[in-house]
Amino acid sequence: MTTVNQSTPSTPLYEVRNVSKSYGPVVALDQANLAIHAGEVVGLVGDNGAGKSTLVKILSGALQPNSGSIFLEGVERSWHSPHDAIEAGIETLYQDSGLAPHLSVGANVFLGREIMRPGILGWLGFLAQKSMDEKAHADLERVGISVPNSNRSVAQLSGGQRQAVAIGRAVAWARKVIILDEPTNHLGARQSGEVLEVIKAAKSKGLGVIFISHTLPHVLQVTDRIVVLRLGRVVSDAPTSTFNADTLLGTITGLIESQT
Amino acid sequence: MSAIPAHNLSRRLLRYFANQQIILLVVLLALGIFFTINNPIFFSTNVFANILLDWAPLTLIAVGETFVIVSGGIDLSVGAITGFSGIIAAFVMRDLNHLMWGEPATLLVGLLVTVIVGSGLGFINGILITAMRLVPFVATLVMLGAAGGLSIVLTGGAPIGDGPANAILLTVPIFGPFSIPVIIVVVVVVWLGLVLHLSRFGRYTYAIGSNSFSALVAGINVNRYTIKIYTLSGMLAGLAGMFFYIRLGSGAPTSGLNSELDAIASVVIGGVALSGGVGVFAGTVLGALILTTITSGLIIIGVAPDWKQVVVALLIAFAVLAQSLRLTNRSAS
Repeated sequence: MTTVNQSTPSTPLYEVRNVSKSYGPVVALDQANLAIHAGEVVGLVGDNGAGKSTLVKILSGALQPNSGSIFLEGVERSWHSPHDAIEAGIETLYQDSGLAPHLSVGANVFLGREIMRPGILGWLGFLAQKSMDEKAHADLERVGISVPNSNRSVAQLSGGQRQAVAIGRAVAWARKVIILDEPTNHLGARQSGEVLEVIKAAKSKGLGVIFISHTLPHVLQVTDRIVVLRLGRVVSDAPTSTFNADTLLGTITGLIESQT
Repeated sequence: MSAIPAHNLSRRLLRYFANQQIILLVVLLALGIFFTINNPIFFSTNVFANILLDWAPLTLIAVGETFVIVSGGIDLSVGAITGFSGIIAAFVMRDLNHLMWGEPATLLVGLLVTVIVGSGLGFINGILITAMRLVPFVATLVMLGAAGGLSIVLTGGAPIGDGPANAILLTVPIFGPFSIPVIIVVVVVVWLGLVLHLSRFGRYTYAIGSNSFSALVAGINVNRYTIKIYTLSGMLAGLAGMFFYIRLGSGAPTSGLNSELDAIASVVIGGVALSGGVGVFAGTVLGALILTTITSGLIIIGVAPDWKQVVVALLIAFAVLAQSLRLTNRSAS
């Protein structure tokens, strides 16, 4: 059953309304709202334990909320697994654990959506590894990421290259929304700059980007709007231009009280 | 890429010799030469045929164990499943024999029974691990106790015979040292090697063992594949049960006893990492061949077979050492 959302001049591309999630007696997320439009970059910030990871997992289908609704292009949806969200066009880059280190770059880019061999071999479940390697290379280049060899295992790449592959995979596959959880973590200044460029490119393609980070200068640099979580609640949702580094930090820590 | 040539060459040589399959082949060859020097009888079709008859059921079990260990799990129940499925098949075949069924039909039904019973118990392992959230070690330990115990209860500890009388003749070699059941096992094993390395099922097995969270968020139904992997392991253990039946002409609760340990030893000697995500199929097959060669060879040169355990223990230690050397070499590069 789906209910169509009465649309305002611009219906958000992806939206959660009043979502709550508790783990036993611990309320991780309390009536949170988040909306993102096509071609918009929304920053999601908050202190440790503010509920960011929980909200990310609800947005990506890895967790089901106890209450609240999820809308994609104005249509109410519910995700039973990450697979559902991926099918709907929502890609997620998880903090630190997006890739299978023992698999090759090509295998990682195509993990979960392998290309099969044509004919009976494909029917028997055999993979077209060569075309996946070639396509992976091309897909990564298309989104501005170059990795020496698609058949190298991810464990042989540097931390920056690994992160680049993970982001490239998410951007290459995303059709509507891309969620990036701490994509610039552990990266040097130059590599972080490249990641921010990839985010801008995804935005200009009309994707909705949700950017989660502790690195506030990056958030201020690349986002259009910032949503601040504190203790499981959304305490602020305002255009990035209304913040500077001090007011953003103050809002996150609660030193500055602001209204949604 | 622009390293000094000499340095590059030594690294390449090191990598070449650190290749576990090459080392295993050298070890196997050395063992063959050693046993032949000590007793020339070792180098004969009969002995090779006998080694293959030991190798075939162990390899079936070890191949299932390879899938499980590559996926980051462990299956301690395979030996018990081998014994249990062999016994159930023995009961069925005894009854069919009394009903005057033909031998080929009886054996075919027996084969079917071992496959079904083995798959069923493997499936239960999978359910215990996914739906009941038991860790694989505990889930399969439970199965080891249950299936192993039931085998003794049902048989009173005695083998169940009185089945197709000529079944044991199937183990006579028809092509060099190869008998029909061994040839069937070779075909099954080669097929599963292709599945592990080239198919989607194999890819997901590695992905789950490498990082199950990344497999999950990539949209892979990790639970379903985990159940499939343990079902496959159980099915292969069941097939090994049928192999033992044909070899012994009866189903015994002692068939497959402790073979989970030999299987895990084969896998580890073959270079498959117990931490999951790593391993080459050929390693397991060679590991099992080395194990069975040692068993036969020691008997032939007149050494007490108890020494086998010691030799195998040393091999495991060397295999793990080679593995950690390779890992440090990789992280250095």
